[in-house]
Amino acid sequence: MRIILKPIVNSLNFIRTPRDLWRAWRGNIQLWANLFVIGWAVVFMLWQGAGFAVTVGTVFAIWAMLAVSLNLVVGFTGLLSVGHIGFFGIGAYSMAVLSSNPEYEQLRTEALTTFAWPFFAALPVCVLLSGVVALAVGVVFNRFRDDIYVLVSFGFAIIAFNVFLNARSLTRGAFGIHEIARPQIGGWTLNGELQFLLFVLAILAVVMLIAWIIVTSSFGRVLTAIREDEDAIEVFGYQATQYKLAIWVISAMIAGLAGGLFASWTSFIDPFSFILLESILLVSIVILGGLATIWGSLLGAMAFVLLEEGMRFLPFLPAEYIGQARQVVLGILLVLLMLFRPQGLVGKYKL
Amino acid sequence: MYRLREDYGTTLAYSLAVAAALYVVWKITQSPEQALQFTFNGLAVGAVYALIAIGFTLVYSTVWFFDLYYGAAAALGAYGVFYLRSFDTLGGRYEVNEPILNAVFALVTAGVAAWAMHEAFGARLRQRGTSRITIRAIDGVVGTAAGIYMWFVLTFPVLMTALLSPAVGVIVAVVVCWLLYRAYRYVLFDASAVPVVILGAVIGCAIGAYIGRLIFQTDGAGLYLSWAVSCLLAGIVGLALYRGLYAYMRERARSPLVMLVASLGILLAMTAFTTIIFQSAPRPLPDAFGSEPWVIAGANLKGFNIFTVGVSIVGFIALLFALKWTTFGKAVRAIGDDEEVSKVVGINTTVVIAIVFFVGAVYAALGGILSGHDTAIQPRMGLLLLLKGWIASVVGGIGNLYGALLGGFVLGMIEQFGIWDLAGEWKDAISFVLLILFLSFWPNGILPRR
Repeated sequence: MRIILKPIVNSLNFIRTPRDLWRAWRGNIQLWANLFVIGWAVVFMLWQGAGFAVTVGTVFAIWAMLAVSLNLVVGFTGLLSVGHIGFFGIGAYSMAVLSSNPEYEQLRTEALTTFAWPFFAALPVCVLLSGVVALAVGVVFNRFRDDIYVLVSFGFAIIAFNVFLNARSLTRGAFGIHEIARPQIGGWTLNGELQFLLFVLAILAVVMLIAWIIVTSSFGRVLTAIREDEDAIEVFGYQATQYKLAIWVISAMIAGLAGGLFASWTSFIDPFSFILLESILLVSIVILGGLATIWGSLLGAMAFVLLEEGMRFLPFLPAEYIGQARQVVLGILLVLLMLFRPQGLVGKYKL
Repeated sequence: MYRLREDYGTTLAYSLAVAAALYVVWKITQSPEQALQFTFNGLAVGAVYALIAIGFTLVYSTVWFFDLYYGAAAALGAYGVFYLRSFDTLGGRYEVNEPILNAVFALVTAGVAAWAMHEAFGARLRQRGTSRITIRAIDGVVGTAAGIYMWFVLTFPVLMTALLSPAVGVIVAVVVCWLLYRAYRYVLFDASAVPVVILGAVIGCAIGAYIGRLIFQTDGAGLYLSWAVSCLLAGIVGLALYRGLYAYMRERARSPLVMLVASLGILLAMTAFTTIIFQSAPRPLPDAFGSEPWVIAGANLKGFNIFTVGVSIVGFIALLFALKWTTFGKAVRAIGDDEEVSKVVGINTTVVIAIVFFVGAVYAALGGILSGHDTAIQPRMGLLLLLKGWIASVVGGIGNLYGALLGGFVLGMIEQFGIWDLAGEWKDAISFVLLILFLSFWPNGILPRR
């Protein structure tokens, strides 16, 4: 918010002509990015009506949660991880296996053990399981840096996808898992889309609060120092490895939470939601929005979701190519950002 | 304490390697035919990995950043062959011959040819006092000619041998003429070269015409011409990316991650673009020679697999020769060691790195084409092939050319023997577990760089 308010407050200090205002604001890319994305979202909502906006909003909230969690690792700690979708998938699959309804006949034919737990019993397990896997993976990954780290994290995403696809006794392979439970609060099930949206937004707010606390605490300052110079911070007596492991596990736990919510929202998941490509898209969201800002991740996720929905209304683009066309746009945007603005739209750290 | 940990890791690595070897030996005693079959498969797959790893090692050990465009280059090469030969694949079932696409590709070719002409000869012509308008006109004429030629090739793919054999003839003629001239200059460096150039032109034209006629009359030559065209295309795109993007970025970037993310964007865009044009479903390439398997001791071996292994070894030897024995190779190694100093001693680093990028992309495209003939092609094959090539170079030792060749074959073998007891779908997971094991316990690979 400060990014938007600061120039306005500044300009109110003394009376200015519109020309002066334009001069003061025109170089402020952060302001224009904010105005553009938010304006686009408002126009879109007014144009399409509330029903469509609810779906878009839920997708946005889940991507935003993922982007915030990845930004903690990429932006604040400087570890460019491309494997985050693996934790998302672990969260989603643990939610699916734990809370899926075994009465569903397709599940009976494939002899898959599911437990029909309620949503709120399964959600902590999603978070914890992602955290445990992240702990094991992080201990191995901690010794790598820079481009080696990127490639090893590619490896994690591919191994996770292979497990989701091929461990059929656990995940039912390519057939996917149906009938995943919706959240229940005291006998009242959140079946409506709007209720679920409000629920997800509340959790997103909690996640942002956690991220904000982490970033502004002394722990967060150590992370920033690790990003700037890992050897220097070790000279000061901080165990950089432990800090990196801690933020990696926290980030993975948030991703697992997002995965659990995603599984519950779609009520059906298959391994193809967790391919490497989605992970690359996630990284491009984080970089587009801006490294080392929480608000930037929200902005990036918003722009990403609106890009897809906006492309739906391009007159000459057939419907089946929308996803691909969005990837083309995102790829070109990544190149342009790396050329002209390596910190992203509202970012504070240049890659 | 540290010493102990290091020894522990080495011991673990060796015991893992011994366990793997014992497992293989045990499997071989169990059923030799199947083991032979897996060995053949491993060699065929490993040759592709080795080819990609060689090109990748060349680039990585020169500029020291990870260029994901090589994945796109592999897919680009394979889809180039598919586009040019789609009338021939399964009786033209997937034929793609879009007039709009042909026109776009022709325009791109015209632009690239004009740009290349300008880059190569513009400065020299300026020095001789040619006016700017004349240079532009020459560029325009060359570009237009290349564009029209490309348009013909794309629109009438059946006539490809007829259309491209003159081009091969011309290239051969120029190369022969140039070689004769160089040899003459090497022996008598200040005598008049005019008679030799004339003689060279005559001999070159004769050989070129003969080879052009030979290509025109051979039946399956269209396929190999389309290989050459695709490799050239991927190489030129790599070159253009370097000159247009990476060269600029490398001057101002703080870390190699900037280039990595930019190339990630390129990979994303190119993969999606390929999917839009060709759909995401796997597509076959036309049958190459020797697709009929021979049965050797109960195991099937395709002639094409032997050819793949041969290509990778020949490519390795050619690159090794170029790096060890030529001035260009010396310059490449110097840039890999220290770019600043090599600039100071007068190496034109921009040109040398551009050539390195071109050669690397050609190797990647060749790998993509060979793997596409072996199995099938799909738009996202590129990233996986690139990552496998990278794993191969880690296994062999990053930055070592011998290591890249060895690592490719080792990776192929391990993948094939690893899926013996597991299902075939696990092979990607196996190779990445191998990568993590190697990076953890044996980060310098089998043959470390000196």
